[in-house]
Amino acid sequence: MTDLLEVRDLRTWFHTDRGIVKSVEGISFSLRRGEIMGLVGESGSGKSITGFSLIGLIDRPGRIEAGSSIRFGGRELVGLDERELRGIRGKDISMVFQDPMMTLNPVLKIIDQIGMAIRAHEQVSDAEIRRRAVEALDRVRIVEPERKVDQYPHEFSGGMRQRVAIAIALLHRPRLVIADEPTTALDVSVQAEILKVVKSLVAEMGTSLIWISHDLATVSSIADKITVMRRGEIVEAGPVRKVLDAPRHPYTQALLDALPSRSQPGELLASGATEAAGRLDPSKLSGTAVGAPADPQFIQIRHIDKLFQRPAGLLRRLGMQLGLASEPARVHAVKSASLSIARGEILGLVGESGSGKSTLGRILCGIIAPSAGTVSVGGEPVMQGERKRGTKVQMIFQDPFASLDPRRTIFQSVAEGPIVHGLCTKAEARAYVERWLRAVAFDPALANRYPHQFSGGQRQRIAIARALAMQPEVIVCDEPVASLDVSIQAQVINLLMELRRHLNLTLLFISHDLSVVHHLCDRVVVMRHGEIVETGSASEIFHAPKQPYTRMLLDAIPRLAS
Amino acid sequence: MSAATTTGSVSPLAQFWRDFRRNKVAVVALTVVVLIVFVAVFAPFIVPQDPYDLKSLVLRDARRPPGYVGRDGMLHLLGTDSQGRDLLSAIVYGLRISLQMGLMAGAIAFTIGAVVGCTAAYVRGRIEALIMRIVDIQLSFPAILLAFVVAALLGQGKQQLILALVFAQYAYFVRTAHGAAAAERQKDYVQAALSVPMGGWFVITRHILPNALPPLIVVATVQVASAISLEATLSFLGVGLPATEPSLGMLISNGFQYLMSGRYWIAIYPGVALIILIMAINLVGDQIRDQLNPRLRK
Repeated sequence: MTDLLEVRDLRTWFHTDRGIVKSVEGISFSLRRGEIMGLVGESGSGKSITGFSLIGLIDRPGRIEAGSSIRFGGRELVGLDERELRGIRGKDISMVFQDPMMTLNPVLKIIDQIGMAIRAHEQVSDAEIRRRAVEALDRVRIVEPERKVDQYPHEFSGGMRQRVAIAIALLHRPRLVIADEPTTALDVSVQAEILKVVKSLVAEMGTSLIWISHDLATVSSIADKITVMRRGEIVEAGPVRKVLDAPRHPYTQALLDALPSRSQPGELLASGATEAAGRLDPSKLSGTAVGAPADPQFIQIRHIDKLFQRPAGLLRRLGMQLGLASEPARVHAVKSASLSIARGEILGLVGESGSGKSTLGRILCGIIAPSAGTVSVGGEPVMQGERKRGTKVQMIFQDPFASLDPRRTIFQSVAEGPIVHGLCTKAEARAYVERWLRAVAFDPALANRYPHQFSGGQRQRIAIARALAMQPEVIVCDEPVASLDVSIQAQVINLLMELRRHLNLTLLFISHDLSVVHHLCDRVVVMRHGEIVETGSASEIFHAPKQPYTRMLLDAIPRLAS
Repeated sequence: MSAATTTGSVSPLAQFWRDFRRNKVAVVALTVVVLIVFVAVFAPFIVPQDPYDLKSLVLRDARRPPGYVGRDGMLHLLGTDSQGRDLLSAIVYGLRISLQMGLMAGAIAFTIGAVVGCTAAYVRGRIEALIMRIVDIQLSFPAILLAFVVAALLGQGKQQLILALVFAQYAYFVRTAHGAAAAERQKDYVQAALSVPMGGWFVITRHILPNALPPLIVVATVQVASAISLEATLSFLGVGLPATEPSLGMLISNGFQYLMSGRYWIAIYPGVALIILIMAINLVGDQIRDQLNPRLRK
């Protein structure tokens, strides 16, 4: 049998004002009917651009260069005009995108969106559309499809929306589906279900699938073969077992070694990061926590409640008086949470989106005032009324692209806090900032640049330096590695472990990624719907979970089959 | 592409100018604006006659057509007005006043708007609601009406007029600054600064304001142009500047009565000057807006 898809020497370049960006540089691969290929790479590797190239969705200034060839079912796709491509898109090749919040039109009912997708290629009656829409939703295991087709996307959860997107992609029984990071934005438990649905559907329909992802573990749970990309080129390709067990290329090996699940908890991770970080220099660092006596009750969080409710406006209050309007909706983000953290401990706080873990972290840091309850660090309350007291608790945010002010230099960003709080004078600021930048292995010579000139990993190190420069005793880390590539993630995890050792820091590490938490944390707290479900040492939680919810979370972690 | 934006070490400003240069119309408009500003600043050294110096006016030369050579041998390129003023000189001085009014009013309204808008977005709650409702009420009246009432109440004079213009326009700046600042307020870098904790005023001036500037700059260009036309309108209607300091609006108003008697130039040329000035400022503003709006960026 011949290959369904044969890509030869595909080159997709972007001709920008500032030169040519060679996003995809001469890659070749083939895919048989019914085969599932995992396309793996870090950000900037060109894996998504490869997917877009196959379906002809490359916009100017990008273009597929001459000499490239994409043969699909014996037909050459490169050079087809827009009309011919539209005939193929959705019918023979379809695509599922990363963010289900963005791919569905929020003002159209599900049935209308499905109808549009059907009528793009076929003339059918309204009754037939309804029948097929119900069938499509049923196929992706959405319960009560007859009722759900008449709903709008906002009535669906993220995972359900992604199912709808998958249902739409499969409407015309395409021969190839390209899925671009379809589960990255979803919780692990939802991801596990989606993987199951897709796997069985693809097998049932005989569809070929290209699953683009940065996550080797997810890919290995679904794919037959793996193709690893780096800087627009394929560095390794082969059956899943072979690539994972005996990788030939050092880059693949480095990607595997950077996975926390592949090494012993607490060990430094091997990082084959493309951008090398210098050695961190912990000399000359100081902090009030260094040498502080042990204190098992160092951080005390007592009966914290947090209600989010918009204040009712004048009209609304009037309406409520007359019985015409209801009270504004309330969200009970944290319900009576109590926990303590010992000095020098790393406590992992895990839970799915909406579990209230970030809110609890921000309450500990003093950004949000709790509705009830107290938080104290070393016996002193963190907040006084609505205001934060002191600088003992600092925070590192998830997205290093958002947490640094784009209009301030690295030096300004790191220096402003220490200057205002008298940790250094304006005159000493240079030397002071340099010391902390060195501590996170960031070249101080680059301190006068702006954040946009740095990569995600570098920015996250800057953000860590900014937190450290306040000489905190506690750092709240809100998903600090969630938006980073695995190799960079390994660097940042190593950095946090080293810093904790040198500075005797206490960390609250908020994450949805259980394998990272397992690697890094001493103790783990599991949250669900604002409540603390289970607390225990890392080995207890991971090897003998007591609660069914914890067990479910653990089972949902995609693992590298070994 | 992230790869493309991180390469090259050109400063943001140099890159901005490089993109700006690509639009030829905008470059021409900018040249016109710069030229007008230059002429307005150095007016006393450029124009043939000081229109404020009543001694130099020859009443017998009044209402002469363009190209007329006066009794003292002076060439009136654009003719003379009803008091024998050289119209070209009067227009240049008029531009000078119009620009002064527009820029002063724009700058003051900008400052008020930026500070009030950002502060409102920062403090949230009742104060924010109060400020924004006042602004909303103001915005529901036409700017010309507000300016007219204030100008009429305060009487004639430069300061009074600037005050009237500021009063008519500051609400636009507050609205824009508030919108941009409210978006910045949500972002992590503001949260990060608050978690240090940094003081509110520090966060507003060092973090929120600089990041809310781009849309404000765009509004500023448009508002300076509209302040100039507002001033001209008020002066035309007689509640603007005193007759001793003829702005473009007053020149047009003076010439208006002669339009029907064939002496078109007294009203038309100041009008043309006004149109060119406002159009040029608007075109420059459009280009800046296009460049600062990532959605329109190619």
